[in-house]
Amino acid sequence: MTGLHKGIVMALVCFFLAGLSGPLWAQDARDDNNQEVITILKEQNSTLSRDLRRIQREIAALRADLDKPGMKDVFAGIGYIFGLFGAAAFAASRRRE
Amino acid sequence: MHISDGVLPLAVTIGGYAVSAGIAAWSARRIHSRDLPKVAVVTSAFFVASLVHVPFGPTSAHLLLPGLAGALLGPAAFVSIGLGLLLQSVLFQFGGITALGANAVMMGVPAVICGWFFQQVRGRTRMRQAVAGGLAGALGTFLAAVFLAGLLAAGGEDFFGVAKLALAAHVPVIVIEGVVSGFTIGFLARVKPVLLQSSFQDTAGPVHD
Repeated sequence: MTGLHKGIVMALVCFFLAGLSGPLWAQDARDDNNQEVITILKEQNSTLSRDLRRIQREIAALRADLDKPGMKDVFAGIGYIFGLFGAAAFAASRRRE
Repeated sequence: MHISDGVLPLAVTIGGYAVSAGIAAWSARRIHSRDLPKVAVVTSAFFVASLVHVPFGPTSAHLLLPGLAGALLGPAAFVSIGLGLLLQSVLFQFGGITALGANAVMMGVPAVICGWFFQQVRGRTRMRQAVAGGLAGALGTFLAAVFLAGLLAAGGEDFFGVAKLALAAHVPVIVIEGVVSGFTIGFLARVKPVLLQSSFQDTAGPVHD
């Protein structure tokens, strides 16, 4: 019958461990988890805000670039000038004939 | 050096348009049809030159080239600069469209004065023409700054305060313009002296072909 006794004792121990001490350990573990989660969140938060700042800077730079006239505007202007003077030359030549 | 929208009072704006329309009409009548291609090329050069930014200390200034345009075109420089400024304000948002008349007066009248000055002092030798061109280029920017101060003074600002500020801001531009104009005119005097001949005496008489 020692086997049975041993089994009962083991079962009781297990029961106690599971039933009584279990919540205490879990409490500890939850505290640890909370700390970890908080640190992870803080890290994520700082990386996110860093990224956000970078993106905001990029947007500002892009906006400044957009204000600057580009190649398209330059060639459009030169085209207008030559076109207008071409039309003037045409009118002048017609008048002369 | 561009005056923006809303800086000048209404009277000065309208006055600027009236004066520049008058001078533009005079200037357009002086353009010989055979000079049209040259006027077009100088106009495009003037139009694009404002994008050439010269870094100077914390700020940067851009080329203006009224002196060079005046030296090359003479009286036609006013039409050229007016058209260049119109396209700059439409395409580049440099200077306001309502201030266009004042801007044209500010840049165009110095250009015509520089053209006259260049024709007076340029001699026969290439060196002297280059030096005269450089002086005309520097004078153009200088006069533009003075005209800017005058226009702002008409709007109620203190003339000498604005003139001092504008001149101080444009000292590097004046120097660079002088150098650029001098080299350009010297180069043209060597390779194509005919380009420098146009202007006041040439088209002074009635236009005939």
